Amino acid sequence: MELWILFGVFTVLMLIGTPIAFCLGVASFATVLYMGLPPLIVFQRLNSGMSVFSLLAIPFFIYAGDLMVRGGIASKIVAFAGSLVGHMRGGLGQVNIATATLFGGISGSAVAEAAAVGGLMIPQMKARGYGADYAVNVTSMAALIALLLPPSHNMIIYSISAGGKISIADLFTAGIIPGLLLALALMITAYFVARSRGYPTEPFPGFAAVAHLFAVAVPGLLLIAIIFGGVRSGVFTATESSCIAVIYALLVTVLVYRQMTWEGFVHATHGAVRTTAMVLLIIGMAAAFSWLMAFLKVPAALIASMNAISEDPLVVLLLLNLLMLFLGTFMDMGPTIIICTPIFLPVAQAYGVDPVHFGVIMILNFGIGLNTPPVGAVQFVACAVGKISVWEAMRSIWPFYGAGIVVLGLVTYIPAISLWLPSVFK
Amino acid sequence: MTSSSEQRPPLSGIARVMSRVSTAALWIAGVGLVLMTAFVAWQVFGRYVLNRSPSWTEQGSVMLMSWFIFLGAAVGVRENYHLGFDVLLYVLPKGGKRWLRMISDLVALAFGIGMIWYGSQLVALTWGATLPSLGISGGWDYVPLVAGGALIVLFTLERIVLRLSGAPIDDALDELPPAEVAAELDTANVKV
Repeated sequence: MELWILFGVFTVLMLIGTPIAFCLGVASFATVLYMGLPPLIVFQRLNSGMSVFSLLAIPFFIYAGDLMVRGGIASKIVAFAGSLVGHMRGGLGQVNIATATLFGGISGSAVAEAAAVGGLMIPQMKARGYGADYAVNVTSMAALIALLLPPSHNMIIYSISAGGKISIADLFTAGIIPGLLLALALMITAYFVARSRGYPTEPFPGFAAVAHLFAVAVPGLLLIAIIFGGVRSGVFTATESSCIAVIYALLVTVLVYRQMTWEGFVHATHGAVRTTAMVLLIIGMAAAFSWLMAFLKVPAALIASMNAISEDPLVVLLLLNLLMLFLGTFMDMGPTIIICTPIFLPVAQAYGVDPVHFGVIMILNFGIGLNTPPVGAVQFVACAVGKISVWEAMRSIWPFYGAGIVVLGLVTYIPAISLWLPSVFK
Repeated sequence: MTSSSEQRPPLSGIARVMSRVSTAALWIAGVGLVLMTAFVAWQVFGRYVLNRSPSWTEQGSVMLMSWFIFLGAAVGVRENYHLGFDVLLYVLPKGGKRWLRMISDLVALAFGIGMIWYGSQLVALTWGATLPSLGISGGWDYVPLVAGGALIVLFTLERIVLRLSGAPIDDALDELPPAEVAAELDTANVKV
């Protein structure tokens, strides 16, 4: 009965359109009242769920991303990526994916990336005769690369939800090859779709131009090395590196590029406050919700029911993947990770899956969910930038979903794709 | 719904005051974010340059984060940028939407009241303790919860009162891009 109240109140409120944060909070509150526990506990969990030092990385990385967009770092990276891959078939689509890969290594947020790269690329692509649906789908799928490449703040959320015992440096490292694999799969897909639609290529600007554009983009690209090198070597914690990213982005945009204005700074700051307050409130509420689920022994029940279905880890992983893809379609990433990690991770571990490997699988699953209606933040952003409806985008997104699912299958069933690189650093 | 252009719409005074409150909250939260950056930067600087890690920076920046989350979240209630599942809102006729939004606002209002009520109890319970690194009362941990609750109550009441008075606050919402993306679109500098 308690579980019916918890999930029932949540589902009904969500269907009504109540903000997810309040759905989670009120469902937990109602359940606690029904069970006769002190309601204080919900608010105490909400507060303690947010008051975690590692969570500071989320506002910092989002803030750094906003500053980089406002201050011209993003557009320099687009120019550099354009000179590298623009001459391939469907050139601007390839540029879009290459930019997403480079920028994703800096901002780590898929939504911010869809807004940043899409804001720069989609209008250009439409002007050059690419279909708006193609531009939108390439942008929204390429934005998922950011989730896998360091610094992915979702990996930090995963590490916290797993009780903080999984090394963030290992998670960051484990995501690199899957991220590059996704980039490759998307570039191949974008190539074939562009060829069948007869999209143009851009002329190759020559090596001198590439070198020049690279030199201009270097201050921005250096950030990748600073963040990854700092965390990997243990010089900074992940949280500290995110703070360094903010300061570095400010220094580069103010002193080197000189494109940051006071208005730009205020806008970036307020934008970061709005985005992170929304994300972190949901995370706090999800912490209360997830505590109740553990209290009601949901994880144990799930392991038991999985056991009843199959003993084979491959089948269980497939089931977990399908379940996560389904959940990902109507929930946003942060809260889904917080709610699902304590439930699914013990199941996966019971079947011998490495927690770092499982983190990569989970993030890729929920990432694809960011690109599916009804709740797909990345897809919404890309569609809004491209000025088309979600349904128009859905009509031609299937090859790109296909690429995502193939990568998901490879990452799920070949653990070495995720686990080899971290083992090199040990 | 009878206000003409010369006439002042009813209750516009409330909206004006609330708009100031909300702007102030947003600015305070922004300053909080900048200060938080400075605190953590100082921690790194202290460790590597001064060879002495300041002990107050972690707890101090976490407390700043609570402030800016709750203030920013309250502003989000007023500006309606919280993430939600809006498929049903999309297909329903106007009258139905109005009711669903009313229920959502009442839910948020109830939770805001809970934040004030239980948050104050938490402050009272922990007031005797001292946060070791900051040297202030442990009750301060829960003050942002109470303050955020108070703002959420104010802003949801504003929406409820304006809606009951017939102000077209929901029509404006229908023309906005999906709430969750508005902030990011603003960053991308895209006009929808």
